[in-house]
Amino acid sequence: MPENRDPVVHLDRQFWIVTAVLGVLALISILWWVWAPIASIMPEAVDKAQQIDALFRFLAASGTALFIFICGYVVYFSIAFRRHAGTPENAVGIQIHDNNKLEMWWTIVPTVFVVIMAIFSLRIWAGIEFSPTNTLVVEAIGHQWYYTFRYPNVNGEVKEMHLPLNQAVTLHVTSSDVIHSFWIPAMRLKADMVPGLINTFEFTPTRPGRYEIICTEFCGTFHGEMHSGTSQNPAYVYIDQPASYASWYARTVREQIHASNAIAAPVSPTQLNLSKGDAKAGATLFAAKCSACHAIGPFDQKIVGPGLKGVLDDPAHPTLVDGDKATPEDVAKILENGYKGSMGQMPNQAANGLSNKDIVNLVAYLKTLK
Amino acid sequence: MTAVAAHAGGGLADHIHPEPQGFIRKYVFSIDHKIIGIQYMITAFLFMILGGMLAELIRIQLMKASGGLMTPETYNEVYSVHGSTMVWLVIIPLLTGGFGNLIFPVQIGARDVAFPWLNMLSFWLFPPAGLMLYSSFLMGAPTAGWTEYPPMSLQGAPGTSMWAAAIFLIGVSSTMTGINFLVTILKMRAPGMTYTRMPLFVWGQFVTAPLLMIATTALGAALAALFIQREFGVAFFDPTKGGSPLLWQHMFWFYSHPAVYIMILPAFGMISEILPTFSRKPIFGYKMIAFSSCAIAILGFMVWAHHMFTSGMAPALQLPFMVLTMVIAIPTGVKIFSWVTTLWGGVIQMTTSMLFAIGFLATFTLGGITGVFLAAVPFDLHAHGTYFIVAHLHYVLVGGSLMGILAGLFYWYPKMSGRLMNETLGRWSFWLFFIGFNGTFLPMHWLGMWGQPRRVAMYDPQFQTWNQICSYFSFVMTAALILVLVNALWSMRTGKRSGPNPWRARTLEWQIPSPMPYYNFKHVPSVFAAPYDFAEPLPYRGLEAELDGAPPTVPAAH
Repeated sequence: MPENRDPVVHLDRQFWIVTAVLGVLALISILWWVWAPIASIMPEAVDKAQQIDALFRFLAASGTALFIFICGYVVYFSIAFRRHAGTPENAVGIQIHDNNKLEMWWTIVPTVFVVIMAIFSLRIWAGIEFSPTNTLVVEAIGHQWYYTFRYPNVNGEVKEMHLPLNQAVTLHVTSSDVIHSFWIPAMRLKADMVPGLINTFEFTPTRPGRYEIICTEFCGTFHGEMHSGTSQNPAYVYIDQPASYASWYARTVREQIHASNAIAAPVSPTQLNLSKGDAKAGATLFAAKCSACHAIGPFDQKIVGPGLKGVLDDPAHPTLVDGDKATPEDVAKILENGYKGSMGQMPNQAANGLSNKDIVNLVAYLKTLK
Repeated sequence: MTAVAAHAGGGLADHIHPEPQGFIRKYVFSIDHKIIGIQYMITAFLFMILGGMLAELIRIQLMKASGGLMTPETYNEVYSVHGSTMVWLVIIPLLTGGFGNLIFPVQIGARDVAFPWLNMLSFWLFPPAGLMLYSSFLMGAPTAGWTEYPPMSLQGAPGTSMWAAAIFLIGVSSTMTGINFLVTILKMRAPGMTYTRMPLFVWGQFVTAPLLMIATTALGAALAALFIQREFGVAFFDPTKGGSPLLWQHMFWFYSHPAVYIMILPAFGMISEILPTFSRKPIFGYKMIAFSSCAIAILGFMVWAHHMFTSGMAPALQLPFMVLTMVIAIPTGVKIFSWVTTLWGGVIQMTTSMLFAIGFLATFTLGGITGVFLAAVPFDLHAHGTYFIVAHLHYVLVGGSLMGILAGLFYWYPKMSGRLMNETLGRWSFWLFFIGFNGTFLPMHWLGMWGQPRRVAMYDPQFQTWNQICSYFSFVMTAALILVLVNALWSMRTGKRSGPNPWRARTLEWQIPSPMPYYNFKHVPSVFAAPYDFAEPLPYRGLEAELDGAPPTVPAAH
């Protein structure tokens, strides 16, 4: 296909008129995307939402303009160069094979388009991925089919997510079962909740209000209910004024202590006489039944559960029960009912194969660990 | 020139095997690439009817925000099998095994593919694999989508293992097809058919074949691991036992991103044949179109993790995947601009095939542009896993691949049947399809951005109106596809006889009778130029006897 055989091409006036019309349409579409009231359709609740929307405006504007030109020319050429009733059967088009200059432009145009897009994306991306460090750390956990949250110094998991206005937040997300996703459309941010992995993103809330959290990774039968619209467990994030956030947080800290009590001791207090235990029998029992999970060491010497030295007077232990010093009754309750909470799980009396007398003896033994 | 003379005198290449006799050898266990191609197409269109019915079930379910037609469990089965069907049992088989088999060996002047028996085996793995996939409905079909991410797919019903086995089988079939096509194009081109003289549909198959061979093996490994974990408990993907759920995602997308190009490069090839033929113009920038296909195929292996920007990935890794994905827009843009330029100054004949090809330019371009959007990590953080993705992928796979397939069906139908499909009905089906398709999938862009996640059996009631609009348009689109199928069936008996070359096209398949005879060519032709110079005489020698109606000289079998 020697290029020099190709005819010299002249573009007529009609072509330039169409080009001008398409240019105007493209310009209108660009202006539309620049001024489109995105924030009034979908609130921008965090700092990064504005940045991501700015990127979207740019992508949408350039994409629409490009689309208008391509489709415009396709339609125009299809009509202008149509075969008519009188066209001879063997008529052929203008026999152009290639044109190095034009093909160079065909490469340059998308390249420039891509380079600008990449630069713009990278700038926004850098702003999103690398953020200030002095942040409030919140953990979100996905379950089939609801979300829970953990806050610093709050015992256990809470069902609502509250964030203070204008305070940088680091969100850690993970899952307790299958992969979920944590998407807040008003924040334009999302991270998958992968079991065994912690994904992180950071942002600063800038607009108070209540915003929906939506799961976007298929997670089983009721995946479609993991949002607030039709759900049994509506999931929201609340962005509060700092003062109301502070009071919510204080209340939550208090309530969660009671809540964990309720988990630890759902049954009425036992009628055991804890003063009559045999510490020696308890020691044997402890070695046989408890030492696999509990060390006779300080609280933070964890095997499965915490170390139990000084369980009745070590200040490291209180979160176990009710915020105050643990009593022998508290310990007996846990032995009887088992434990499920921030420190993990322990089976109850029946599962551990303990008689009431065993519990009394164990409490007596634990009293001696000082 | 001496080599050409040797062929004209009848060398080894002119040896013709006798046509097999008897229905079974001729039409069932055939080793003829054309029959196998038609077998692929019929099977794939049958699965398309099933997959389309599942699609309509999805759209009917979503007409109400609270669901209503099916339980969530059933709905999850339906969309999972819909996706798996359309990707593995419809689009890939139609483009490679179907149109690939039927057309490209003739276009390079060969009498068959390099390994006809392997070709038969490839096909005969395909219907059993499809039946296995559908049999999973009997034991609880997979529910975690066509991507089957663990740990979700580990919780799935027993049919999930059946799904893995079925897709594994279809993967084996694909791999064999890839090897077969690659060797055929490398070794069996007619004399003078240099790489720069190959029709662009052949180029499409040429770059697709290595993708089939290389990428599908990664899928096979992933499926085998999933099957072993589900059935024998080896914890590849279970985080509670030391496995990694992300391992699956990497292996799956290492296949499935190249698979996107498996599903579009042959369609690019079809468009590159149809546009010049109906514009009576050489394709603009032949070399650039061929070269850009190679670039897309190579880059296609380097971008898989852009499906995983939200899955958990080091920021330093997001960067190259984002940039490389955007780079793919360059060769794709070159192609689209070249196609548009091909139309300029043509003498355009608006056949149904051309309408579908031009429709492809519009819809595929939109799908490509939203693809660049999604490559930008910050935008993907918002749009990932929503209906925006559903819209994007259907613009590429329906607006791209299926539009190409329909253009190709109207274009090459005479080569299968000797008859033309009905043009009036064809035009109706194009416009209904074009309107129905855009009405179904365009609103999904903003549905996703507003907050509708994908793969949901029920959704926020505020989105109900737009979902109903999507559903109504999907009925129009389905009606259009039914019209196409009716047209194809009806024209088989009653269509206008086409003669060998109704479109006055210049590639080799149009220089032999329609339907194409068993041996393709009485004499293997010699080739002197690329096939797109519409003002010149045909660039072939040795084709004089093809249309004279005399039987070929069949030497005794050896």
